[in-house]
Amino acid sequence: MSSPPEGDHPAIEIRDLAKRYGEVRALSGIDLTIRRGQFFGLLGPNGAGKTTTIHILTGLVTFSDGEVRVLGNDVVAEYRLTRRRIGLAPQEFNFDRFFPVREILILQAGYYGIPRKEAGRRADALLERFGLTSKADDKIWKLSGGMKRRLLIAKAMIHEPEILILDEPTAGVDVELRRALWSYLRKLNAEGKTILLTTHYIEEAEELCEEVAIIDRGRIVAQGSPDALVQAGGERHLEIRLTEPPLVLPDAVTSRDHFVDGDRVVIGSAHPRQIVAEVLNGLYAGGLKITEVRIKESSLEEVFVQLTGRTIEMAPEALPAGDTDATGAPEEELHEV
Amino acid sequence: MRYSREWAIGFWTLTRREVGRFLTLWRQTVFPPILSALLYILIFGEALGSRIQLIDGWPYTEYILPGLAMMGVLTSAYANSSSSLFVAKHEEYINDVLIAPLSYWEVVLAYTLGAMVRGLIVGILILGVGIVVIDLPVLHPWTALAFLIVVSALLSCAGLVMALWAESWDHVMLLLNFVITPLVFLGGVFYSIHMLPPVWRTVSMVNPIFYMINGLRYGVLGVADASPGWSLALSATLAALLFAWTVHLFRVGYKLKS
Repeated sequence: MSSPPEGDHPAIEIRDLAKRYGEVRALSGIDLTIRRGQFFGLLGPNGAGKTTTIHILTGLVTFSDGEVRVLGNDVVAEYRLTRRRIGLAPQEFNFDRFFPVREILILQAGYYGIPRKEAGRRADALLERFGLTSKADDKIWKLSGGMKRRLLIAKAMIHEPEILILDEPTAGVDVELRRALWSYLRKLNAEGKTILLTTHYIEEAEELCEEVAIIDRGRIVAQGSPDALVQAGGERHLEIRLTEPPLVLPDAVTSRDHFVDGDRVVIGSAHPRQIVAEVLNGLYAGGLKITEVRIKESSLEEVFVQLTGRTIEMAPEALPAGDTDATGAPEEELHEV
Repeated sequence: MRYSREWAIGFWTLTRREVGRFLTLWRQTVFPPILSALLYILIFGEALGSRIQLIDGWPYTEYILPGLAMMGVLTSAYANSSSSLFVAKHEEYINDVLIAPLSYWEVVLAYTLGAMVRGLIVGILILGVGIVVIDLPVLHPWTALAFLIVVSALLSCAGLVMALWAESWDHVMLLLNFVITPLVFLGGVFYSIHMLPPVWRTVSMVNPIFYMINGLRYGVLGVADASPGWSLALSATLAALLFAWTVHLFRVGYKLKS
């Protein structure tokens, strides 16, 4: 078994990955390379294969074919090396309900070989960072949905992994917490952490990710920066309506890809916002009067529809929104025998 | 690759977690079997014992106490590993363990040790009650300890296998209610198999739990219906085989990984 490579290995390398459940093909030949320090998004509807892919990375799902490496090490043959370098925040809450919040973090650190004293120090720091210090000695059922979501991320980070994998981290959280989590994740990424995020929120992918892979029915149908995907796959133009059909158009229009339809002039451009001033000045100078200006820029959503022929359906939410669902089975109801 | 300190900490953490879980619930996990044993001593010792002849030279209460201790060990070890793993699986926090850099044998051994500690505590406390209340001797303490260890390991693994297979609490309790408990009662806790007709004596000899009770009774009272060495070898072999099978089930991810 090789030692952990320190060279130029990407954070995550997936080659020709396939997963079959009997006759059903959950993944059909996924290829993916995620660089160290990258903020990468896997975008797709429920059932597309996002969670299957990240569970293969963490060893929760076996795969049928292909090769998966984390920082140069094989996730099956060298699982001890790969697993300690990944932190996973799953989509569903999974807390050890027999122990209080701080102890949950300490146990989690222990599983990764961190001595108890150091684990306690890290747990306190993370509880502070996530605003959970006052809940340190509470059992999990006393926490609200938002608090649990924060604790889930703290749990994934307690062993200070180089790669943080977040499965739908903002599913069902309220807008305020979503913004706070985004800002925190951006900060972590700026500090050098590689982040792989799955989401079916287009806005989340556009907001956070340097690079996005759109996954649908077990295949990657497009990959690139959100901007590049929108430019490559989407339609962008500037549309201007005049008081009457123009006889002559200025160079600012004619030098570009354009067409005229009565009093409507449409100018194609990869960056329509950047040409607005020039085009409007040209039209004014030619004595033309403008009644309406529209900038058309495709969103990632439209790119997705274009690529897959359908919209990303909103999933049933994993947890109620807001911080108000502090419910749970009381301790006495533990099924112990 | 050499075994690292990091892995040892991971293994130790899970073991400590398993012990810590049942200790925090001691009223549910440790106390009831001790109370049951005390009740048996009270009922058989004070009410019925005097009407029953000596068995192998021992008064009835002394005779049944090792069997009661073994019954406590069997049910406690089984209940601990099965309920702990079943809840972890059901609420998916077993995934925290499965994605950590722990090997499968470390995970199984940690769960097994946790359940063994509970089995041993219960077994030793019941024997301790016997020593204090009815002046029970422990003639071969190392033999008695060996049986407590081996049997608690065996039942811990049985609990893990059932928890992996189980999809409801009903399933978890199935083996305990319909197999282990009947075999315990038919395994000579309350009688010597020499008191049975020959046919039932032969039938008792295929009950593995008979050998476990028999072995502990030898360790405590020095009397046995079957060879203690053979009984220990049989129990240890079953424990080793079941441990290996449990590790295998974890490795292939039986009902843990898709």
